[in-house]
Amino acid sequence: MGNPIVFGLLAVIAIGSAVGMLTSRNAVYSALFLVLNFATIGVFYIVLNAPFIAMVQITVYAGAIMVLFLFVIMLLGAEQLRGVNSEHWFHLGLSILLAGLLIVAFFIVLVMEGSTTSAAPMIDTSPTALGLRLFEGYNLPFLVTGVLLLSATIGVVIFGFSRKRGENV
Amino acid sequence: MSEVTIEWYIALSVVLFTIGSLGVLLRRNAIIIFMSVEMMLNSANLAFVSFARYLGNLDGQVLVFFVITVAAAEVAVGLALIVAIFRTKKSISIDDLNLLKG
Amino acid sequence: MTAYGLAPLLLIFPAIGFFFNALFGRRFVEADSKIGERWSGWIATLAALSAFGVALALFATLQANHFEAMVVPVADWIVIPAADFAVAWAMRVDTLSVTMMLVVTGVGSLIHIYAMGYMHGDKDFSRFFAYFNMFIFFMLILVSGSNYLVLFVGWEGVGLCSFLLISYWFTVEKDGKMVNADAGRKAFIVNRVGDFGMVLAIILIFWTFGSLGFERVFESAIEMTVHQETVHFGFFSAPIGAVITAIVALFLLGATGKSAQIPLYVWLPDAMAGPTPVSALIHAATMVTSGIYLLVRSNVLVELARVSFVEQGIGIFGVISAPDLIALVGASTALLAGLIAFTQFDIKKVLAYSTVSQLGFMIAAVGMGAYVAAMFHLITHAFFKALLFLGSGSVIHGMEHGHHHIHHAHSDDHPSDAEEFHDQEPDHFDPQDMRTMGGLRHKMKWTFWTYLIGALALAGIFPFAGFWSKDELLAHANVNHSNVFSAVYWMLTIAAFCTAFYMGRQLMMVFFGKPRHGAAEHAHESPRLMTVPLVILAVLTIIGGSMNLPNISFGGGAAADSHAVVEEGHGEEMVASSKGLTLALEHWLEESLLIFELSEEGGELAAYENYEYPHTPTTLVWVVAIISTLLALSGLLLAMFVVYRKRPLSATDPDPLQKLKPLWWFRILPLETLYMKTVVPAFKWLSDWLAFTVDWNFWHDFVHNNIIRDMFVSFSTFLADVFDKYGVDGTVNGIGSVTKGLAGVLRKTQTGYTRSYALGIFLGAVLLLAYFLWFAF
Repeated sequence: MGNPIVFGLLAVIAIGSAVGMLTSRNAVYSALFLVLNFATIGVFYIVLNAPFIAMVQITVYAGAIMVLFLFVIMLLGAEQLRGVNSEHWFHLGLSILLAGLLIVAFFIVLVMEGSTTSAAPMIDTSPTALGLRLFEGYNLPFLVTGVLLLSATIGVVIFGFSRKRGENV
Repeated sequence: MSEVTIEWYIALSVVLFTIGSLGVLLRRNAIIIFMSVEMMLNSANLAFVSFARYLGNLDGQVLVFFVITVAAAEVAVGLALIVAIFRTKKSISIDDLNLLKG
Repeated sequence: MTAYGLAPLLLIFPAIGFFFNALFGRRFVEADSKIGERWSGWIATLAALSAFGVALALFATLQANHFEAMVVPVADWIVIPAADFAVAWAMRVDTLSVTMMLVVTGVGSLIHIYAMGYMHGDKDFSRFFAYFNMFIFFMLILVSGSNYLVLFVGWEGVGLCSFLLISYWFTVEKDGKMVNADAGRKAFIVNRVGDFGMVLAIILIFWTFGSLGFERVFESAIEMTVHQETVHFGFFSAPIGAVITAIVALFLLGATGKSAQIPLYVWLPDAMAGPTPVSALIHAATMVTSGIYLLVRSNVLVELARVSFVEQGIGIFGVISAPDLIALVGASTALLAGLIAFTQFDIKKVLAYSTVSQLGFMIAAVGMGAYVAAMFHLITHAFFKALLFLGSGSVIHGMEHGHHHIHHAHSDDHPSDAEEFHDQEPDHFDPQDMRTMGGLRHKMKWTFWTYLIGALALAGIFPFAGFWSKDELLAHANVNHSNVFSAVYWMLTIAAFCTAFYMGRQLMMVFFGKPRHGAAEHAHESPRLMTVPLVILAVLTIIGGSMNLPNISFGGGAAADSHAVVEEGHGEEMVASSKGLTLALEHWLEESLLIFELSEEGGELAAYENYEYPHTPTTLVWVVAIISTLLALSGLLLAMFVVYRKRPLSATDPDPLQKLKPLWWFRILPLETLYMKTVVPAFKWLSDWLAFTVDWNFWHDFVHNNIIRDMFVSFSTFLADVFDKYGVDGTVNGIGSVTKGLAGVLRKTQTGYTRSYALGIFLGAVLLLAYFLWFAF
């Protein structure tokens, strides 16, 4: 499942960009860090023999979704929050403690339950194979997803409309 | 150096998930919170794909496909909501949205 | 050909009729009363007729399939897997239930047709037919249910319909009381007492046998009795015989309510407040017989109760077996109600008490083990009592129209007649009072002849249906030897005499003599819609007896014959007779009555030494037939004589009948005066005493008003003032203040900041994960 050196490099980039996103004061930088993160994960997908998902990751996530984010940030002019940054020490402490606990818990599990078997042999993951699998086993979820997208579209349009009407009245 | 195993990917996924959740918990900018949520979704996707590779079947990838679709819909609606909130509140700080205060 | 699957249609058709009339009927009738009534009435009638068609199909199916019973599942109903409790809504198609279906839908259809004429012009025409269809629906559920719970649903449903239809004209007031609404309420509340017994019996059945389905219950009842098992009820336990006796006694309580027996018969006479078709369908032909159906259906339990009394001495208080108690209750009701009927002046009240009396006959028959005779009498009674009620309705209808006529014509048309009646207040005119009738045989020819046939059948005159069914029942009581059976036999024979007497009296007062009121003078025949059902029912009354004709043997004396029957009762004679046309009903019902199979050679119950199933004689018992015929004839004649001699008319009326020539030869007998001075007053006093003191003052006023009502009132006062105020209100207010206090504390956690909530979720997720990890590793 990949070369350890490649994995280590990519993992450092992914975690680094994630931390960067978390800590940037400017929302635009955050978004750019996130693009980098998504792209790294896309590379992981290629390493993991999922070329189609990798392409979707790059085009949809790193491309379309992040452009939308950037667009909204620019539109609202919300790169930085104004006003005092009221820190709540209890909240901060508890959050970090819990996050640490989560990571520790998982690592304990990973260490204790280390896998002995190696990965399965490579299989055909071409878009054709994926499409066949999708339409053979996931017909209904596919249709439901279509309905979900439609209703999301309608919902967004209605948000736009109701705003206008509210302003006119 | 030994071969990369599934644990490595899971560990990476957990770390990314935790960073994402810290973003949700600590940041006040609604858009960044939203981006953190996207990152959490991505960490889950990464776990899915690595399991698909490990087990040698396609179902994990199909699920990722669905997650991406739903995430796209979610981003569209969520950003529309943020824009709507910004228009009324002139702010996207979630600390300003405390109407639920008891 | 099997048409068992059609059974659910039986329920669907009346349900459609009900929904149509309930939802749209009113609009139809309001839009155009004539066409609306036609639609509303015919759709209801067609619903009943279609159900009749289905019943006929089931009948044919049973004939074609060797009478094989079939359970047709309709739906899962109550399923509680944890308690291993499952009751399906299934319909049992066997000869017994199909018999009841045919009676209910057949007689019901005729009464539907009649009601279209009778209810013509009523402002709530469609409401009436909606209730009527609903009644048919519930009655069919009752008779078709394959377990006791479905039966109970029907049982309660028909009770509801009875309540709705008795108080159909609920706005009518008399002396400032809502008489009709009160009558409906009374019927409902009195029936609650009986239904209480039913519920207890059903609970007991489930506890004991672990099932409610008829087949399962009967099978395990037999098995448990044979093995003399013990039933445990937590703190104590009882032998199976005692439990079955208790179940049968509780069924008897249920039947006394629904079938109007002592001590719960009081509701039925009041139920005459409803429209006459209701009295005919519900309170004579069908609903009131459901108590008999219940007991006949449970024939195995009844006989097992007899077995445990005979074999182990387990009875009610150890002195009497449950079936014997049933027989005595039935017989005393038959006698008492027959006596009470003497003093009634209301044409429908006479028939009501007569119904109570005849139901007593059937209940007594069930108690004696004469299940077939009970069903036979049930069927013939449905025919002739429906006929009589419909006839009385026709009379009332005619009287009302006659009254209407004179009320509008004033004294212009008939000055001489009108003068005579003018001192009577027109407002006080009661179209049901027999004292205002008389001479109607010329005015209402169809009604008269059909009524005569019905009355003769009820009186038990050969060859009408009533003769055969009553005779089979009396013969059964006569040939089986036991003290209880002899007592029952004599009580029923006297009751049969009473029946003939009051029917004769009624015939005389209503149809003979001269009109005693202008309304009777101007009464006219009812419309065709009403007379056609009368004629059909009259035909059924004439030929109905052929359903179960006994073998008639002329060899040997009457007395010897009756003994021979007992000895050979279930020997060769049964086999020989089974091929003829006689006893058709018995062979038909035998297929459903498990008791016949059990008591035959090799059956479980035949093994007992002391117990013997009391078989009904298969040949005509001459001595019984002759005695009952003679008594019936003498009853009729006596009635003629008494009514003509001294009519019980209102005091203000002159006696127009004295000018006629009433059976004059009675007058020359010196016995006549003696009779009038001694027997008649004593008799009158007795029936007055029974009617007014025992029935009215004691049962109606004292027991029902003082004891039952006061108990209810004080109990509900306790519930309202103590339980509700302190218990319920205290609990509710307490919950309120605790919630308020808690909310005050908890609201502080609601900061309104999204991140707080997110932190909460995260905390929960981590804890959950920790929990799983802790237990997984």
